[in-house]
Amino acid sequence: MAGRGKLIAVIGDEDTCTGFLLGGIGELNKNRKPNFLVVEKETSIAEIEETFKSFLSRSDIGIILINQFIAEMIRHAIDQHMESIPAVLEIPSKEHPYDASKDSILRRAKGMFSAEDFR
Amino acid sequence: MGPSEKEACVLLDTRLLAFMDQLEILEEKRERLNSLIEQGWFSMTKARYSMGNKQVSALQYGSEMQPLVRVHTSTLDNGKAEFQIERTAPGERTVEDIGPKDTGGLRRRTHFTEEVVKAEGYQGYQPSAGTEAEKEPLPSSKVEPDLQQDPIRWFGILVPQTLRQAQVSFRQVVELSAEVAALQSAVLTTREQLQLQMKLKRRSQNEGQKEGQKDSD
Repeated sequence: MAGRGKLIAVIGDEDTCTGFLLGGIGELNKNRKPNFLVVEKETSIAEIEETFKSFLSRSDIGIILINQFIAEMIRHAIDQHMESIPAVLEIPSKEHPYDASKDSILRRAKGMFSAEDFR
Repeated sequence: MGPSEKEACVLLDTRLLAFMDQLEILEEKRERLNSLIEQGWFSMTKARYSMGNKQVSALQYGSEMQPLVRVHTSTLDNGKAEFQIERTAPGERTVEDIGPKDTGGLRRRTHFTEEVVKAEGYQGYQPSAGTEAEKEPLPSSKVEPDLQQDPIRWFGILVPQTLRQAQVSFRQVVELSAEVAALQSAVLTTREQLQLQMKLKRRSQNEGQKEGQKDSD
């Protein structure tokens, strides 16, 4: 495998971030910028969106994991992202189980069978 | 139905079956991913129960972090992205690192002059042994921050087994998330190919109808 691999970023509640950091994905770069965002009650939607966009613009990030209930808050930003890298994965959170019908990718795939496509 | 239209239909059916298969695999992997995450949380909660309510929190994250997992990405010609996980082992601290640092203080005299040896009749002296001892590198006393530390150390040295179980679950989740990401990309690529194929089929159908009309005229 040539070159240095990319990072996995997380936007999630405390337990989700703690779990993934335990798994070894955490990084604080030279500018002390983390590759994760712990979303708390006080965290604003603007801050979440800004972090998500900054992760998308970083070339050293390969996968972005995001709790589905947080993804719902910034759905427009997620739907705008069409590139395959970084990949955006919606994951469940403790209070909100995963709902496939809300997932951006699966909704796009489901759109395949809409009336529009058969016209 | 002309031969070209028939071919297009067969190709469309094949793509559609591949698309369905990919969706099925994606659903299976998703289910596994979600159950592993739940397992991880459950173990983490059990660890918190034995360690204390305020333990295993964001306040205990390390001040320095280096990733132990990286993902190698590549895009194939058909636009499909591939993700491959690479894991590095956390840096283990050695006994020398933990113990008191020897900053060059002489512990044992290694220089024996020929005169001293002759005068005292020292039996064990071997000139070559002395020079080898001099060349032998001392354990490095340079203090390097242990950046690639196992994240489990943030939460204590003697952590409960359940926290280790949580770590194992989340490591598996990380591996699986790369597979899910690759599958998502494959699903979207196949979808695009299917849409293209449908357009081609419709075009050939229209051309066939026009030709049929000309023949009847």
